[in-house]
Amino acid sequence: MSITREKLVDAYTTMVKIRTFEEHAAQLFAEGKIPGFVHLYVGEEAVAAGVCATLRDSDYITSTHRGHGHLISKGGDVKRMMAELFGKRTGYCKGKGGSMHIADMTLGIMGANGIVGGGPPLAAGAGFACKYLGRDDVAVCFFGDGAANQGTTHEAMNLASCWKLPVVFVNENNRYGISCSVDRATCVTDIADKAAAFDMPAVSVDGNDLMAVYEAASEAVERARRGAGPTLIECKTYRQRGHFEGDPAGYRSPEEVAEWKAKDPIPRLEKKLLEMGVLAEDRIREIRAGVLAEVEEAVRFAEESPLPDPSEVTEDVYA
Amino acid sequence: MATMTFADALNDAHRIEMRRDPNVFVVGEDVGIYGGIFGVTKGLLEEFGEMRVRDTPITESAFVGCAVGAAAAGLRPVAELMFVDFIGVCLDQIYNQGAKMRYMFGGKARIPLVLRASCGAGIGAAAQHSQCLEAWFMHVPGLKVVMPSTPADAKGLLISAIRDDNPVVFLEHKLLYATEGEVPEGECTVPLGKADVKRKGEDVTVVATAAMVPKALAAAETLAAEGIGVEVVDPRTLLPLDEETILASVKKTHRLVVVHEAVKFAGPGGEIAAMVAEKAFDYLDAPILRVAAPFSPVPFSPPLEQAFIPSEERIAQAVREVVGA
Amino acid sequence: MALVGIIANPASGKDIRRLVAFGSVFDNQEKVRIVRRVLLGLAAMGMERVCYMPDTYHIVERALRRIQVPLEVFPADFRARGEPSDSTEAARVMEALGTGCVVTLGGDGTNRVVAKGSCAVPVLPISTGTNNVFPAMIEATVAGLAAALVARGLVPEEEATFRSTQLEVLRDGEPADLALVDAVVCDDVFLGSRAVWDIAKVRQIVLNRAAPGSIGFSSIGGLLHAVAPDAPEGLYLELGPGGRPVTAPVAPGLIETVGVTTLRVLGVGDRVEVRGAPAVVALDGEREVEVTGRERVSIRLSPHGPRVVDVERTMAAAARRGVLAPRRRGGRPCPATPNVPTS
Repeated sequence: MSITREKLVDAYTTMVKIRTFEEHAAQLFAEGKIPGFVHLYVGEEAVAAGVCATLRDSDYITSTHRGHGHLISKGGDVKRMMAELFGKRTGYCKGKGGSMHIADMTLGIMGANGIVGGGPPLAAGAGFACKYLGRDDVAVCFFGDGAANQGTTHEAMNLASCWKLPVVFVNENNRYGISCSVDRATCVTDIADKAAAFDMPAVSVDGNDLMAVYEAASEAVERARRGAGPTLIECKTYRQRGHFEGDPAGYRSPEEVAEWKAKDPIPRLEKKLLEMGVLAEDRIREIRAGVLAEVEEAVRFAEESPLPDPSEVTEDVYA
Repeated sequence: MATMTFADALNDAHRIEMRRDPNVFVVGEDVGIYGGIFGVTKGLLEEFGEMRVRDTPITESAFVGCAVGAAAAGLRPVAELMFVDFIGVCLDQIYNQGAKMRYMFGGKARIPLVLRASCGAGIGAAAQHSQCLEAWFMHVPGLKVVMPSTPADAKGLLISAIRDDNPVVFLEHKLLYATEGEVPEGECTVPLGKADVKRKGEDVTVVATAAMVPKALAAAETLAAEGIGVEVVDPRTLLPLDEETILASVKKTHRLVVVHEAVKFAGPGGEIAAMVAEKAFDYLDAPILRVAAPFSPVPFSPPLEQAFIPSEERIAQAVREVVGA
Repeated sequence: MALVGIIANPASGKDIRRLVAFGSVFDNQEKVRIVRRVLLGLAAMGMERVCYMPDTYHIVERALRRIQVPLEVFPADFRARGEPSDSTEAARVMEALGTGCVVTLGGDGTNRVVAKGSCAVPVLPISTGTNNVFPAMIEATVAGLAAALVARGLVPEEEATFRSTQLEVLRDGEPADLALVDAVVCDDVFLGSRAVWDIAKVRQIVLNRAAPGSIGFSSIGGLLHAVAPDAPEGLYLELGPGGRPVTAPVAPGLIETVGVTTLRVLGVGDRVEVRGAPAVVALDGEREVEVTGRERVSIRLSPHGPRVVDVERTMAAAARRGVLAPRRRGGRPCPATPNVPTS
């Protein structure tokens, strides 16, 4: 499926926005302005941007610990995201969820998830709802190589395949579940191979190549929309930072990190777009400046927003 | 009014809600062709078809999670967990996902889900098919916990649970399925969070749940002959708990016995007793007693199982003790 | 001491053709099992040393876990990066070590990158990919025997192998890449997920082999004019509206009718210019070369492709020589039926 120039520019902008957001989050976390944990998506931007470029607002996604990229790609508002990271009342979750639980049901974002493997059954459910209601929307389940060994993931894939649900399982194989490398976590290190157990088509793509991700995702999403059932897409990628901010990541060699940084998805796409004449240098500068302004505005918004009142602690438990 | 069994009353509630709301569907192991292992969903497949009555593989995490996801996406699933004991293999999907989504997302999700499950001992099903685990669910903010004792309550509460916009854990004691009672016909609701005084009495309040309610009523009958007036209160919903009805009764009788089949230690009775002690201590004329199962897994052999389940006699004895008889 | 190489590509058999067509899935455990049988075949035929390409799935190491073979098995000395260039590097190292035969596991794409590293060492290609023409679906045990026969010189190379032609991609006249089966020019601007499946995008096809019974783009040519892999000729086709309709299996499970507007037989050294930019040239089914219009890209038929071990021919040559069935002393032939011990 061909991608339009407009979509390419959008996807590039999204990737830059994710990177900029994450770099700000890292800095603000280091300054002690963000409480708790943050798990950053730096290096994996092409996966979320490529997949979500094939989706519409009414499609669903389930996300992971490392959810900022998914949220931004699905159209999440960086102001409310940043405010949530700060634990402010203006945040997506009024400060009740934090980085690991941001959701926007109006955009089909069924939440980042603090439980590894928590999302796949939910995605199967959202996919089932689409099928049940006769909608041609789909559910995309982002999950990591760590979640690929969770029972819930396998159960959800089995159910989705058995019921031909419109679900696209997008595995972000970034090679590590915290410190445990994929080679130590499974004997089948190509996650795509696992789909054979469910008679589900699977592909393995370079997750740092936006176009490769986009192509595979658009085929899989189209397949799901026409009722042909689920697909597994394994995106081989790498998180450039530690599992969480503050993780010294001593379990990876500097050579390995350097090798993957050389495969950074953003400069790669940028170079391509320049070559193709889709973007010129000045337009790139403009996009970067625009994104920077947006993220800085988000930080300002977060900083200036009020904290929740302690009396709100028991609000929103029940509908 | 019609006379029907507890199981048929639940079946009736399903039908009424499924006819009324096309977004209600049933999902679980053996709920379709088999009609539910306890017959609660029998005939639903024939009436509503495969899309709405979904047999699942034995994959509790997947189908409970699927129900949560479908609820978040706008449907109203009724998921049947064959035995509540199986909650251990899928608990994350209900307590970390379904129960918390609304709160974590700052009030922006609705999870209108009913998770039905059989519970309780008495049929020789042993330790992994007989437990009463309501206290586990009562400990999770975001869930509602329902535990009916009569066919009429079962029907009315299930209809209310299906219409509720929160995840509701609906616990059905398996010894009650075959019990009969008068049930209102057509749409009838029993509100969640509203206790029912099953028998009026002046001397002792007995708060009992599920299969302990008929036992408490039988004990009350015996005690009436001894001149002790027992008021039997069935909370029906354990979360939210109808504190008002329980407190009103205690303020009248000044004595409280709490009866449940779950093990006593850290069981639901502890919460009820503590609540009364906190809010009505001055009204109490005697220590609160709890009648509950001993701290052991549910045993298999009939004499052991009977020793495990609180008996009518143990209830009566506890009542005699609090009145000093 | 004779040496055999093994290059098993962990990435083959997983590309997007599983999604857009009906390609077979070839998981890496299956490759492990294949390598195991190759190793057993090699050992049975008296090989002693095997060099292999290190890979991220550790295919050869895993294969060794379940068998005991009197082989010295060692990795080619370079750091695997999990990229196609690993296969090229491995082939280079193996040639330098004087390897007598390289067994490859993969598809056309795998063998292409191997050929980029070495065309001198005879290659025995076992198919594990989808859409393959160059490698054959052969039993690995026999492949192991055949590889050893070639590496140890038990059958002469000229009887066991043939020299394949290949296609060279020239950028402003300089060799930039190569293909072993087909080079296809399509309307595209990205390498993306690499595979080519949308026949409507294909404008020009250059083939160095074409059989009516093959799969993929070479089948289109093969249905019009067959070209053997070692014949000194190739084919050039242009597709477009109004051409001669050809119905061909262009990908697994995808049978398409295309219009062939031009068909030309190429001789060795003939060159085809890539027309139109932007475009992408797919080599052996994978988008590899981007054509921006800033340089001239052409495709040339070359006779200097890899030397390929033909397993059937190798085993036939071995049979003629009685390598696996030596005559008994005194010149009496072996009994036609094996001796079955009786108790």
